[in-house]
Amino acid sequence: MIERRDDELSRIYRDAEGPRPPQRVDDNILAASQRVAGARRRPAGFGIARRWGTQVALAATVLVTFTLALMVFERESGLDAMAPEARRTDRPAKVPPAEPKRADQPGTSPLVLQPIAPAPPISQTLQRDPVERGPAESTVSRGGLGTGQPAFVPGVPRASEVLRKREEAKPALAAPVPDAQSAPELRQRARPMQAPAAAPAAGALSESAATLQGSGVTAAIANRLAVSEARERTPEKWLEDIRKLRTEGKMTEVERELAEFRKRYPDYILPEDLR
Amino acid sequence: MLRYGKGDAGAFEALYRRHRLPLYRFLLRQVGSAESAEELFQDLWMRVVNSRGRYEVRAKFTSWVYAIAHNRLMDFYRANGRASFLSHEESESVLEDLPAGEIAADLRLDRKRAVERLLAALGELPDAQREAFLLQHEGEMSIEEIAAATGVSPETAKSRLRYAVAKLRASLGKKS
Repeated sequence: MIERRDDELSRIYRDAEGPRPPQRVDDNILAASQRVAGARRRPAGFGIARRWGTQVALAATVLVTFTLALMVFERESGLDAMAPEARRTDRPAKVPPAEPKRADQPGTSPLVLQPIAPAPPISQTLQRDPVERGPAESTVSRGGLGTGQPAFVPGVPRASEVLRKREEAKPALAAPVPDAQSAPELRQRARPMQAPAAAPAAGALSESAATLQGSGVTAAIANRLAVSEARERTPEKWLEDIRKLRTEGKMTEVERELAEFRKRYPDYILPEDLR
Repeated sequence: MLRYGKGDAGAFEALYRRHRLPLYRFLLRQVGSAESAEELFQDLWMRVVNSRGRYEVRAKFTSWVYAIAHNRLMDFYRANGRASFLSHEESESVLEDLPAGEIAADLRLDRKRAVERLLAALGELPDAQREAFLLQHEGEMSIEEIAAATGVSPETAKSRLRYAVAKLRASLGKKS
C-alpha cells in the first residue's frame, strides 16, 4: 500500500527549523552506550576465568592442603624421632634410677626442659583419646607407653646420639639446673638440641628443623620433649618417685601424684604401702 | 545494532547520529514540551541500549525504534490523562466529510508563515493523526511500517494519515 505524499506540504514541513536534543542528553546517551558496550566486552575475559576458575581453585586447595599436611607430618615425625630417642639414650647415663624427676623438685632433674612441662598438662595430653590425636602422635603413644619403645623413624639420624655427644662435650649442660630457670634460658638450651639433629639430615628432618627454627617453635619443642619424658615413665618408676616424695615428707605432692597415677592407670593395682 | 550487540560502541554512535534528530522532533511534536520530550528521548535510547542483546533483525531498525517510541508515548499519554486516539471507524467517517483544501497563494510566497501555520495546525491534530504524519515525515515510513509501529491495521494508518494531511492543507488554505 503506497500513499503518495503531499509534496508541497512536505516541503513546507521540511522548512521548519528542527529542534535538537540538548548536548547533555547526547552525552548521557552516548556515555551509557559506551559503558554498556565496555561492560559487555568484559565477559570475554571472564569466560576464561569461568572456564578454568573451578579447576584452578581446586588445584590450589589441594596444593595448600597437601603442603599443610606435609608440614604437620614433618613436624610430628621430626620431633617424635628426635625427642624420645634423645630421652631414652640419655637416661641410663645421666639420670640415676633413684633420682626423682619431678619438675618442681629443686636441683633434682637432669633434664633442662622439665620446668616448662609440668605434670598436669602432660596427663591431660596423655588422657586424650588416641583417635583424637594425630597418627604420628598415636604411634608415639603406643610405642612409648605400651611397650616402652619410643617411635623411631628409619633412616633419620638419631638426635639422641648427637645430643649425647654434645652433652659429653659440654658437661655443664647436663648438670642439675636451678629450679627457677626461666623460659628464655630453656629455649636457649633447646635450640642446640634440635640443631645437631637437623644438620645431618638432608631430607625431611632437616627441612622440618629448619622450619621449626625459622618459625620460633622452640617452646613447642620443649613441651614435646617433656611429654615424651612423661610417656616413658613407667608405672613402677612413677610409684618409686612417689615413695621418694613420701620419704621426703611431701605428703601433698604424694597425694597429687597418686591421684594422677590413678587417673592415668585406673586398672593398676597399687602396692600395699601406697594404698 | 547487531554490531553494537557484539560490543561495537561506534556502531551505536552511528545509529544515534542518524536517528537522533527525527526521533527527537517526533517526540517533541507529539508531547509539546521540551522537558517531557527530553525525558522520553533519553528513556527511549536507554531502552535501545539495554535491548542490544535481544535485538533481532525482523524489520528495519527505524520501524523497531519508532515502535518503541510509540509505546513510550502511549505510557506518557496514559500517565497524563491524554487518550484522544480516534478509533478506526471515527477516523474513516471523519475523513469522508473533509473538504479538499488548497494552500493559500500568500502562504506559497511566505514560507516562514507557512511553516508557522503548519506547525500550529500539526499541534492541533489528534495524537493518532499527528503521529501518522510525523512517522511518515520524520521516520520516512510507509503506510505498512506506520501500521506496524503503531499496532493498527494498514487501513487505519492510511486513514489517519490522509486525515492529517487534509487537515493540515485546510489550515494552510485559510486566510489568517
